[in-house]
Amino acid sequence: MNPFFERDLRISRRQLFGKTATGLSTWALTSLLAESALGQTKQIKHPLPGLPGLPHFKPKAKRVIVLWQGGAPSHIDLFDYKPGLEKHRMQELPDSIRKAARLSTMTSSQAKYPVLPAIKPFKQYGKSGMWLSEMLPYTGGISDDICLINSMNTEAVNHAPGVTHFLTGNQIPGRPSMGAWASYGLGNMTDELPSFVVMTSADEKKTCGQLFYDYYWGSGFLPSKYQGVRFRSEGDPVLYLNNPPGMSAEHRRGVLDDIAELDRKKLQDYGDPEIETRITQYELAFKMQTSVPELTDISKEPKHILEMYGPDVEKNGSYAHNCLLARRLIERGVRFVQLMHSGWDQHGNLSTQLALQCRDTDQASAALVKDLKQRGLLDDTIVIWCSEFGRTVFVQGDINNPDGHGRDHLGSCYSIWMAGGGIKGGKTYGETDDYGYNVVKDGVDAHDLGATIMHLLGIDHERLTYKYQGRNFRLTDVSGKVVKPILA
Amino acid sequence: MAGELRGIGLLVSRLILIGFLPFGILVNANQAEKKQTFAQDIQPIIKAHCIQCHGERNAAGGLSLSSLSSAFKGGTSGTSIVKSQIDKSLFVHRIEGKDGKPRMPMGFAPLSAKDIQTIKDWIDQGCIEGSSNSSQKHWAYITPTKPFVPPSKKPWIRNPIDNFVLATLTKNKLKPSLEADRTTLIRRLSLDLTGLPPTPSEVDAFNLDRSPNAYEKVVDRLLASPHFGERMTLPWLDAARYADSNGFQMDGDTYQYVWRDWVVNAFNANMPFDQFTIKQLAGDLLPNPTQDDIVATAFNRNHMLNNEGGAIPEEQRNVGLFDRVDTTSTTWLGLTMTCTRCHDHKYDPLTQKDYFSMMAFFNNVPETGIPSDNDGKHFIAQPWIYAGTKPQLTDLTRLEEELKLENAKIKPGDEDEAGQLVWEKTSPTGNKEIDAILAIDRDKRTNDQKNKVRDAFFNLGLRPDVKARRDYRIVLTNKLNALKQSIPRVMVMSDKSPRKTRILSRGDYTSPLSEVAPNTPESLPKPSEPTKNRLDFAKWIVSPQNPLTARVQVNRFWQMLFGKGLVRTPENYGMQGEPPSHPELLDWLAVDFRDHGWDVKRLIKLIVTSATYRQSSKLTPQLRLNDPDNRLLARGARFRMPSMILRDGALFVGGLLNPEMGGKPVYPYQPKGIWDGLNISEARDFSYPQSKGKDLYRRSIYSFWRRTVAPGDMFDSSSRQICTVRSSQTSTPLHALTTLNAVTWVEAARNLAQRVLLPIPTSDGQLKQAFRQVCSRRPSESELAILRRSLMRATEFYKKNPKQAIEILSQGESTRNANLDPVQHASMTSVCLAILNLDEALTRE
Repeated sequence: MNPFFERDLRISRRQLFGKTATGLSTWALTSLLAESALGQTKQIKHPLPGLPGLPHFKPKAKRVIVLWQGGAPSHIDLFDYKPGLEKHRMQELPDSIRKAARLSTMTSSQAKYPVLPAIKPFKQYGKSGMWLSEMLPYTGGISDDICLINSMNTEAVNHAPGVTHFLTGNQIPGRPSMGAWASYGLGNMTDELPSFVVMTSADEKKTCGQLFYDYYWGSGFLPSKYQGVRFRSEGDPVLYLNNPPGMSAEHRRGVLDDIAELDRKKLQDYGDPEIETRITQYELAFKMQTSVPELTDISKEPKHILEMYGPDVEKNGSYAHNCLLARRLIERGVRFVQLMHSGWDQHGNLSTQLALQCRDTDQASAALVKDLKQRGLLDDTIVIWCSEFGRTVFVQGDINNPDGHGRDHLGSCYSIWMAGGGIKGGKTYGETDDYGYNVVKDGVDAHDLGATIMHLLGIDHERLTYKYQGRNFRLTDVSGKVVKPILA
Repeated sequence: MAGELRGIGLLVSRLILIGFLPFGILVNANQAEKKQTFAQDIQPIIKAHCIQCHGERNAAGGLSLSSLSSAFKGGTSGTSIVKSQIDKSLFVHRIEGKDGKPRMPMGFAPLSAKDIQTIKDWIDQGCIEGSSNSSQKHWAYITPTKPFVPPSKKPWIRNPIDNFVLATLTKNKLKPSLEADRTTLIRRLSLDLTGLPPTPSEVDAFNLDRSPNAYEKVVDRLLASPHFGERMTLPWLDAARYADSNGFQMDGDTYQYVWRDWVVNAFNANMPFDQFTIKQLAGDLLPNPTQDDIVATAFNRNHMLNNEGGAIPEEQRNVGLFDRVDTTSTTWLGLTMTCTRCHDHKYDPLTQKDYFSMMAFFNNVPETGIPSDNDGKHFIAQPWIYAGTKPQLTDLTRLEEELKLENAKIKPGDEDEAGQLVWEKTSPTGNKEIDAILAIDRDKRTNDQKNKVRDAFFNLGLRPDVKARRDYRIVLTNKLNALKQSIPRVMVMSDKSPRKTRILSRGDYTSPLSEVAPNTPESLPKPSEPTKNRLDFAKWIVSPQNPLTARVQVNRFWQMLFGKGLVRTPENYGMQGEPPSHPELLDWLAVDFRDHGWDVKRLIKLIVTSATYRQSSKLTPQLRLNDPDNRLLARGARFRMPSMILRDGALFVGGLLNPEMGGKPVYPYQPKGIWDGLNISEARDFSYPQSKGKDLYRRSIYSFWRRTVAPGDMFDSSSRQICTVRSSQTSTPLHALTTLNAVTWVEAARNLAQRVLLPIPTSDGQLKQAFRQVCSRRPSESELAILRRSLMRATEFYKKNPKQAIEILSQGESTRNANLDPVQHASMTSVCLAILNLDEALTRE
């Protein structure tokens, strides 16, 4: 599209919203007053729309939950079942297998690359008989709902570039993240919460060392209102959400009315539609002040639901707590929820930390899927359990030291799972070689996955673009194929 | 429901009215003057949309659009293009989706209305082939010459800028807006040139000054203010992706703030822009460079640095090199060189060879790619310099030399292993623990034991003169280390490691192709001298034949002063960028800037003294319909200010702002937990070291910018991760929450309240003054009535809730005048916070 045109159109759209906004804010005001009088919480949604013409076709899903497993879980130990490895235990990984992939500098000069098979047995789960580690009993319990992809792969060898690539389609920061694209294209389904919400958690002792940078949920060159809003476990759940001490909600309401009235006078004098937008945003801010605390208050959740998510669920900032909040966000119309959990970077503590991480995440991840399912939300919500890469089949460090060995990063193949909105359950997709080191069939990379997620949301990934620096950028850069065999 | 539907209908009709019509008028006006050519106008469209399936080798349906002749030939469906006959050109039918056949490009987004119109015009005009060397034709690649100023005798005109603007307005049957009132003007000027609102007495003085040059006097005063440099520096920091840390795991702090101060000082000293450029790109290569010249080159060391365990140095070094090429190209040339890292440019005459030839200028830095010099908090990468004061550097040399001399005095056997062995044999030492260790065989001692023996040797076993020398050395070393710790170490450029540069296949550092020599892009005008190094390159950037630099800079200053540039794609002047709304004006300004010694203050003065700049920003219904986006400049610009300036303004009106300039970054208020996610190891402490006292109130430019997590209250800011030359101006509820609730604004409101309560006796007077402090003008009677009511309501509330009054008055660290009645103070605080949140308070108009 011609840039002149595109931009004028956008401005006009904003003016339109601005125009409707006066109506909306008056409406919101009366509605709020009516509510307090009647004590009801009935609300009519006034979503902020996405781009005209989107979705491109009928979507299978409306919402996405990313369960990010930062640090890179070992696919060898958890997902990619290789019974044949036992006979190679502590034997040198053949050069023919290893040479193909670039290694991080932590092991690229290691003298030996002895093979270590999965540290715990695998077993078959569900009707589909999906092979998973016995360390993942709860994930096993939802195996008929998930599609396990064992053929993920990436060029990246280090975390930040790997995460950035997976979530933004490029290793170098600066591009919009998947959630920003979805919000930009499809808009917000609720005006009480942001359309893209991010929450973070980490393993208890923070052994993993993986940080979450805000470009993992950034908007890149898209307008910054599309960036993910981080919900926090400490202080205000959303930055500056609460009125300052000494300013009650009731008093604030009056102050906002005064601001709006003065702004309307300004609008009459100046005629700038931006003023209307501002009035609306202040109204929405007020709404958010009530909707967010309601959202984060889990005290009314029944006991059996809390138990489902596991013992950590009531601990603010835990992975389990965030999983429960993810469901509550989805219920309230949030488009894209991104949970970032850090804990899997087991270079030297595989024998202890792997089990702890499974304990931290297995039950709650499965509970979220089950909980969505029993509420009928799984049908149009995609859940993706994923990470930046996997780990090497060979040992890093000293195998004889239980606290001093693990596995290094491996990008040439790894595993993730998906569930819900349009994804085939009980399926295992993609094949790797005998060592779980290289993809041999049906490789999937981040762009393919991006294309697939967009497809499920009713978006042709090649057509959701944004012109920047003279080029039409998209989430999937210049590649990406929808992975059709995993679609229901 | 019915109401909603009707609403949507209305929306659609409004969309058509506002969005499409004026645009159509504009485009047609532009296109009528210009002949479309295949090479310049059609081929780019074909390359972007058609060539994938209709190329030379893969001519789907037998149709190849790779050349004009093959396009004429057509495919299996017949002739595709017929000169001057749109109706008979199948090409047009297919891209419009007529004839019941699938619309082309099949499976992709349709061509834009403008592209289709361009193709139609081209056919209509007889399918002109045009020059195949399209590079020479695109406006931005032709060195600008000073265009003829359209003559006009209209009294509105103040300087040539207005001639150009008025000519365009007249062509579009529009008239300029009236000049804004003086209060608005001084507020506009103060915010634009210093980032701070005017004080009420400055407003009064200007309103009372009847001299003919009253306006110019204000401009001169503001240009001379030290805050001018701070204001100009803000966008430059975004372009230079400046931050105070590296941006990855460990996110080590840096000392690049020395460079930030260099920029502020350069703007304040009105350093000519060519010097400003040469110093930042190649100050180190100037003959006898000063320390400042070298500090200036930190520009190209401000990029992110990856210190993750396992990071591959050569990969990271290349990432940094790419960033230098991309940032330099965007900042000075407005070129999208990034595209050519992997392949020749699809639209612009830039090649992959150009990319790596440019990269060769930056590829001689003695660096590894990894920030390996660290003290646990700062992580910096070679090369760097001690950017200290003269006395500091003198001390540094002196201490280093003295230490060297002292070290030379150590004789074999004095304090080395051999000496220790001799001493060990003279035991017992008298120290029971040591004697016990000495009884153990040397090879069997633990490390701890070995260390203990060594310490004992130094303490007990040295000859008195040796010990005295040793102690002195320790004193010297400690002094030296403390001194080194106190001097900022700025990462700078250097050419001390010449390297060969190769084209990298698809930008992959593991796939080098042929070698290239340093060179400027082939299709742009060449410098008269060969460009062998970075200094030659920098000189080429500001050479008179460079077609881009002056335009790019002039446009960015314009963007700062008008919210948007004459070219609205400041990151792209190529074929896919937007053409300038006022091409002659842009060229006139660019040549004028260049020919007047790249004098920045002169340029800015010229712009802000134009009648164009001085127009009122009120939006009439006519303009809202005809030019909603203010492309024609028939009114002044009105836009929400950047959050840094909003914060500074709040501090300023609260009387809190600490105007101190430069130095180490400070740590203003930040909600708990923002940095906590970074706490991943005990080795690195990420607790937020919030400043105390006056440092809480420094200007935002001096706030510590952690590259991984931006400050919580700086919304819509660039991330400082990569070069950004266009600011984001969005409006979200989160912004409202910030200015309503963040302690900075609440504290500013409390202090503003105190400022008006203390000297002014009546509540009306207090309200008026508070409003004036923030918005510069006096409130109208009806506005005052609202403020009065707001104050009354607040007073009622705080009378009933005296505890809450104390609570809101306890926000922020500044002390409160205890003589003020808390209820009265809290109530006025509430009103002041409302005033700070008015649209007008947040907006420059």
